[in-house]
Amino acid sequence: MLSRVRYIFRETFDSFRRNATLTVASIITAAISLLGVGLTLLSQEGFDNLLSKWEGGVEMIIFMRPDVTADQRALIEANLDGNNQFIESWTYCDVDCSLAERDRVLAAEPGTRDLITADNIPTQYKAVPTEATDVALLRQVTDAFSEGPGVFEVVFAEDQISLIEQLQSFFGFRLFLLSGFLLLAAILLIWNTIRTAIFSRRREIEVMKLVGATDWFIRVPFMLEGLLHGVIGGGLASVGLFAWNSQWTDGVQGFPPNSGFAALVITNGYDKFVMLIMLAIGAIAGAIGSGIAASKFLDV
Amino acid sequence: MIRLENVTKSYSTEVVAVKDASFDVAKGEFVFLVGPSGSGKSTLLRMLNRQDRPERGAVWVAGRNIVDLPGGRIPMLRRNIGNIFQDYKLLLEKNVFENVAFAQEVIGRPKHVIKQQVPAVLDLVGLAGKEERMPNQLSGGEQQRVSIARAFVNRPLILLADEPTGNLDPATGEGIMRLLDRINKTGTTIVMATHDQRIVNTMRKRVIQLDRGIIVRDQARGVYE
Repeated sequence: MLSRVRYIFRETFDSFRRNATLTVASIITAAISLLGVGLTLLSQEGFDNLLSKWEGGVEMIIFMRPDVTADQRALIEANLDGNNQFIESWTYCDVDCSLAERDRVLAAEPGTRDLITADNIPTQYKAVPTEATDVALLRQVTDAFSEGPGVFEVVFAEDQISLIEQLQSFFGFRLFLLSGFLLLAAILLIWNTIRTAIFSRRREIEVMKLVGATDWFIRVPFMLEGLLHGVIGGGLASVGLFAWNSQWTDGVQGFPPNSGFAALVITNGYDKFVMLIMLAIGAIAGAIGSGIAASKFLDV
Repeated sequence: MIRLENVTKSYSTEVVAVKDASFDVAKGEFVFLVGPSGSGKSTLLRMLNRQDRPERGAVWVAGRNIVDLPGGRIPMLRRNIGNIFQDYKLLLEKNVFENVAFAQEVIGRPKHVIKQQVPAVLDLVGLAGKEERMPNQLSGGEQQRVSIARAFVNRPLILLADEPTGNLDPATGEGIMRLLDRINKTGTTIVMATHDQRIVNTMRKRVIQLDRGIIVRDQARGVYE
């Protein structure tokens, strides 16, 4: 058993040495494609982070008319409480609270600020929806509350959420497609490398078959070789991803605090998880490429 | 040890390599397959180790019809059959010892067995002391001896030799034949395809003659005609 294992590893590394150029090419291709996969996963996670920040803080704001009555407010509050499948929580911002907000938001525009007084300022209900990223649902809820008694206007951050979703969909799909093509290229290159390795050792394989080596015994070094191409490619891609993420994290720290980019920094260990995924995909891609080649071209 | 029953093998509708061939080879026998190029000698040898399958007939080796042998069992069959070729088929990047050891390594023989058996067989074929030589440092005869050592190191029941002296000068060829005769005397059955009239006439072993795939002569202690 030990002699077989020793033989398999020796033959695998001999083959690496003999086909050095092709081996390096297939490892680099695997690394680039896996890095593409990793970056796609990281960017998706970044967009998810960005959306979840909105999800935690987005507010549907129901502005009430200044002359709203207590009965009308009670009806709105009953509706907010009664729709807890859509509304997670809500707070009421009375006249004093609204005036304080006016002072904060319009601090740079004193003329406009002074036009809004305790007599004409709308009070507000700030509601946190349960599904803040579902724009269609939010719009339905907003429309429903707009028709409530004493309601002046209902607003929510529709544009921002739509933009993030569009960006996520745009980049996610294209990066995913690109990664898929690169991964296919990596599999084909690994397949071709193994095919070349088999061809360069056709005499050896012929002798092995004639002296009674089993097909599996002949195949395993080639399959191991392809597997290693994928795993080494995955390892290099992991190093690349780590470097990229570190650079990105350092870079974003220099951005203005409210730029929104902070949410795109992946620091929760997800990057390590992606590295493991890249290694696994690399191993699978290598095994598929070499497995097909070793099965198809062993009749030499 | 070997029995062919009405074996027919063709490569196309026009080319019939072997037609309705039947013969028996007893254990320990030495048989020459003779005939011109394209007469079916190599095809017969290839069917004996299941590199080829006949369209019709049965090929019995060591008591088993190998025509329908499942693919997974073929390696086991081949461990009982050694093969010697005209072009030696040595691995050029391996030395003499490694070439012979390779045949044991790939069927999982332990290292200590390899260390014991390879020098013994190299001694038998007259290559003791040349273990470290590379194939390109050997003469044609020595390379063929390495090939024979590799074929014999697993002590097969049968040796199939396809024109083993075809690339050698007469004197070297005779040396190889003496070696094969010695191996035959250990009880190993040998089937050898050859064109070499002189060798066949000198050895006076059983001769099966083929002509365009048909056995035209099967003669004990025969000569090349």
